[in-house]
Amino acid sequence: MTAYTVQMEQLPGLLAAWSTQCQVHVPVSLDNGFYDFGPWRPGTEIAFEYDVAYNPLKRFFMPPREDMVVFDLETYSAKPVFAAPNILLFGVHPYDVKAVTQLDQLMESGSVDQNYFSRRDATVIFALTPMAVSETAFWASVGADKVDQGYDLYWTKIGPGTFHVEIGSGKGEELLLAAGPLSPATAGSREAARKAQVRARNLGLRRKLNYDWHETPHVMGRSWNASLWHRKAEKCLGCGSCNTVCPTCYCFDIREEVDEKLKTGHRFREWDGCMLNGFALVAGNHNFRPQASERYRHRYMRKGKYIFDKIGELGCVGCGRCVRACTSKIADPCEIFNTLWEESRHEI
Amino acid sequence: MKSRTFSPYVPRPATLVSKSPLSELVTLYEFVLDNGKNLAHKPGQFIMVSIFGVGEAPFSISSAPIKESNVFEIAVRKIGTVTKALSELPVGAKAGIRGPFGTSFPVHEFVGKDTLLVAGGLGYIPIRSLLHYQLRHRQEFGRISVLIGTRSPRDRIFIDQIEALAKGGDVEVLETVDMPDANWKGNVGVITTLLPKAGVEPQNTHVAMIGPPVMYKFVLRQCREMGIPSERIWVSLERRMKCGLGKCGHCQINSLNACMDGPVFRYTDIESLEEAI
Repeated sequence: MTAYTVQMEQLPGLLAAWSTQCQVHVPVSLDNGFYDFGPWRPGTEIAFEYDVAYNPLKRFFMPPREDMVVFDLETYSAKPVFAAPNILLFGVHPYDVKAVTQLDQLMESGSVDQNYFSRRDATVIFALTPMAVSETAFWASVGADKVDQGYDLYWTKIGPGTFHVEIGSGKGEELLLAAGPLSPATAGSREAARKAQVRARNLGLRRKLNYDWHETPHVMGRSWNASLWHRKAEKCLGCGSCNTVCPTCYCFDIREEVDEKLKTGHRFREWDGCMLNGFALVAGNHNFRPQASERYRHRYMRKGKYIFDKIGELGCVGCGRCVRACTSKIADPCEIFNTLWEESRHEI
Repeated sequence: MKSRTFSPYVPRPATLVSKSPLSELVTLYEFVLDNGKNLAHKPGQFIMVSIFGVGEAPFSISSAPIKESNVFEIAVRKIGTVTKALSELPVGAKAGIRGPFGTSFPVHEFVGKDTLLVAGGLGYIPIRSLLHYQLRHRQEFGRISVLIGTRSPRDRIFIDQIEALAKGGDVEVLETVDMPDANWKGNVGVITTLLPKAGVEPQNTHVAMIGPPVMYKFVLRQCREMGIPSERIWVSLERRMKCGLGKCGHCQINSLNACMDGPVFRYTDIESLEEAI
């Protein structure tokens, strides 16, 4: 695979060149140890050693609220809306790249989600080997410490001011060379990158599943009647925070608004969550998942089994965002999967 | 970026050509697409109907697919915001249509066989699409029995048509109500009380059933007791459908989406799913 060596002092020039073509977002430090992706401007300090971005990247491809259709009540005509700014995401951790590649597969299957792919096709992803790991993360144990697709460039910091950059796409290489030629990677820099990636994996294994993640759908398949669902859901506030921060949750509601003259309107989708009480409610007030424990179970079944059955990957990338976001401290997929695995081992 | 011009979220304009009350709360609506095209649906499928400014909701199609006619029907109970707006829609007004969506009853498998149609409450609406299809191709099917269960006589819909069917002799019609009034002279009780009266030949019968969630378990149990194989039982399952495209997540039944994998399922495909029945 083609790779280059990039020096830290070359970055401002590259970022300036990229920002003439796209909105560039980089990891930045927020208050009190929280990080998130924010727009880059000259002088912006990039938080290379961030542990996890507070918000998931799905917001760039499927915003919390997105217009789908505009309509005219007088002519009763409607038109699609495909908004898609050119975006470059610099410094995306592999588990978040993996989450995006999962969304890509799920949005492509069946009826292709054109709105999603309008935005996805207009987005460039530059991955970055993690240098710090969130206390709640367990991504290294679910196969999300390294990805081999879904990025345009893969950056690994191999020294105080040096990066090893692997090419993931032609677009990525074009952007990398936008500010002038760069040194091709040496055998030494490749080895340094490999070591940095091994270090990241080892750091990422501080929290982990106690079994091979491939077993998860089998574990989940045996746990429909587990008492854990009730034990945990007793404390569930039904706030949907775990859905909101999850990089692989993508459920949505469709709603609409009209202007004050009742002449035109727009139909939009906005994030919804299976943990919310009304998620499976139908007309006539029948709720297909009336109990919090049913909703709680559904969410983990989706992460641990349903998505796996569809795409062959665990629908949880181990980012740990939900662990931190849950005010009741009941949303920890690592703990849930480990507990169910332990219980399933003792089944006769 | 690839340019995109088509969106499955954009409804097609349609015109309401007639509306007629079926019961106190249920109304029959007839629509035609403004592009003049046939809806091209299959029995058991559903559409998303939009009233711009109010919203969109899923409805089963109650008419049979007819190549020569571009009129299609939905029968709707006034129960929420979209259905209320629909009830206030004058003939000649517009609505938006997306679809048809979902799976349908596999009528080709029913050819040459007897059919038992089991409809609880508003389940008669999508069953009617299948029934009317079969009536249009009557010679291709064996005996057709229709079991209709309604909460009370005043909730019955398509009364005249059903009574005409019962008298016509093309199909066997058995009706019951849970709560009779003083004038009701028919069967009283839940729909399972009708099954023994239908005279079904289990080895030659396909079953299609649609009704309220509580109905399925009991009817299925009885079908199995009668010896009807599970692979010849078809159920249509209601769920909350928002996108109709298998994406929004609301209509999930375990790992399946009712909007694309259903709403019509062969029973053997869902009998192991805890959330289905």
